[in-house]
Amino acid sequence: MRKVYLDHSATTPIDARVLEAMLPFLAEKFGNASSVHMFGQEARAAVDKARRQVASLIEARANEVVFTSGGTEANNLALRGICEAAITQGRHIIISAIEHPSVRGVVDELEKDGWEVTRLPVYDDGIVRIEDVRAAIRPDTILISVMMANNEIGTIQPIAEIGALVRKERERGHRHLWFHSDAVQAAGRVPIDVQTIGCDLLSLSAHKIYAPKGAGALFIRRGVRLTPQQVGGHQERERRAGTESVANIVAFGAAADLAQKELDERNEQTRYLRDRFEAEVESQINDIVRNGDREQRLSHVSNISFRFIEGEGLLIHLDMQGVAVSTGSACSSGTLEPSPVIRALGRNEELARGAIRFSFGKDNTNEDVDYAVAALSRAVESLRAISPLARELISTGTQSVPSV
Amino acid sequence: MPYSDIFKDHIAHPRNAGELADADVIAEETNPVCGDRLRISLRIRDGHIEEARFLAYGCPPTLACGSAIAEMIHRVTIDDAARLTKNQIAEAVGGLPSRKQHAASLAIETLQAALARHAGEDRD
Repeated sequence: MRKVYLDHSATTPIDARVLEAMLPFLAEKFGNASSVHMFGQEARAAVDKARRQVASLIEARANEVVFTSGGTEANNLALRGICEAAITQGRHIIISAIEHPSVRGVVDELEKDGWEVTRLPVYDDGIVRIEDVRAAIRPDTILISVMMANNEIGTIQPIAEIGALVRKERERGHRHLWFHSDAVQAAGRVPIDVQTIGCDLLSLSAHKIYAPKGAGALFIRRGVRLTPQQVGGHQERERRAGTESVANIVAFGAAADLAQKELDERNEQTRYLRDRFEAEVESQINDIVRNGDREQRLSHVSNISFRFIEGEGLLIHLDMQGVAVSTGSACSSGTLEPSPVIRALGRNEELARGAIRFSFGKDNTNEDVDYAVAALSRAVESLRAISPLARELISTGTQSVPSV
Repeated sequence: MPYSDIFKDHIAHPRNAGELADADVIAEETNPVCGDRLRISLRIRDGHIEEARFLAYGCPPTLACGSAIAEMIHRVTIDDAARLTKNQIAEAVGGLPSRKQHAASLAIETLQAALARHAGEDRD
């Protein structure tokens, strides 16, 4: 059976060149980067090089990059670290309604601890409005956290505009306002320049850019004070204690370097495949709704709701045909958690439950698209054939469901 | 818990899917919390379920349990069908994790509703 991986927003395969770069650090180059001897110095030099490579991907200075275990830890460090450090200056945070669970989860906890939170709407295009950000800022706001691009629908947020707004606020005397952006999905897919964006903190993850799981980074602009969340060591300039995962960091650096060099080529490839996929799906399958703005989104993501059916069933059907995709909803203990992102677009529960994310990668091919569309068409037809929702609408003649 | 092969087979090849045009009784139940729906239609002759069909909307366990129950009640007596338990349905799909047991419950509740309706209509 052919295997087609269309879940690159979940994780990416390791690039052979990245693997080659990291392997020596899993074998003979095993030193602890904090050790003074030559084994340690070798590891330190490798970590420093990776730091420069990751910094270069986002146009930052190397000493503004703190390595973490991944994107979730970077988001935790950013949000908790800023809130704890700025607790005397204010207790209000602004986030978007479609942040990744690793931001939403931290903010939910902070809310329980007495922080006030404004969650910005995104409207049916999945994009935050700068007017809403402006209106949400209060004198006691200390942090705005808006993702650069959404993980489920790929919509790109007006980050540079928010950065400019924050700068203006500071000029007006609002000195204790910080701006964080989760760029885990955007990195390696859109050019990132932290100077242009004007953010104070920015989260990255290695395994979304063809490196292994186990490394991430937080950009912390020089002069921004945050409280470390992991203490008991001097690593990462006292901002994140713990022995560096040298091999993973080396891989992250190599992957960042390649992502920067190949960004245009990768985007061209994934945009071509994604657009062809969407055109084929639209021509072959009725009663679908595409989620998220069609222009202002990452080149590799397509999110589609298939009416009358539920996403996880579709996911299993596709998996049995060798096609790997994702759904944002979960049903457990008889309680339904439809994707909060799709719900934030104003879609009803049926559409939120029927949403599937297809995310393409640099190694996908035209044949993958053809195979996935055929498998999807079969799966949708099969599930609609047993759906009472599809039957009802056929019998009332109100919808254009294919004959099932 | 990964889904079993028999579970996935029910999803890929649902048994007795559809709706009987000449059903003697149709019942549909909805899980009020998650919105999963199951509809069972039966043709009953001489105390036997001669034909059974199901339609389902919802998470994969709901689809698999719908398929399993439609297969299990096909051509059995009403009394035997009435004795089916949610554990038997769960076993028939290769077992369900505790958080997905509601799917087997929905299948049993829908069958019970159909049988109760049929019994009521018989009395009328």
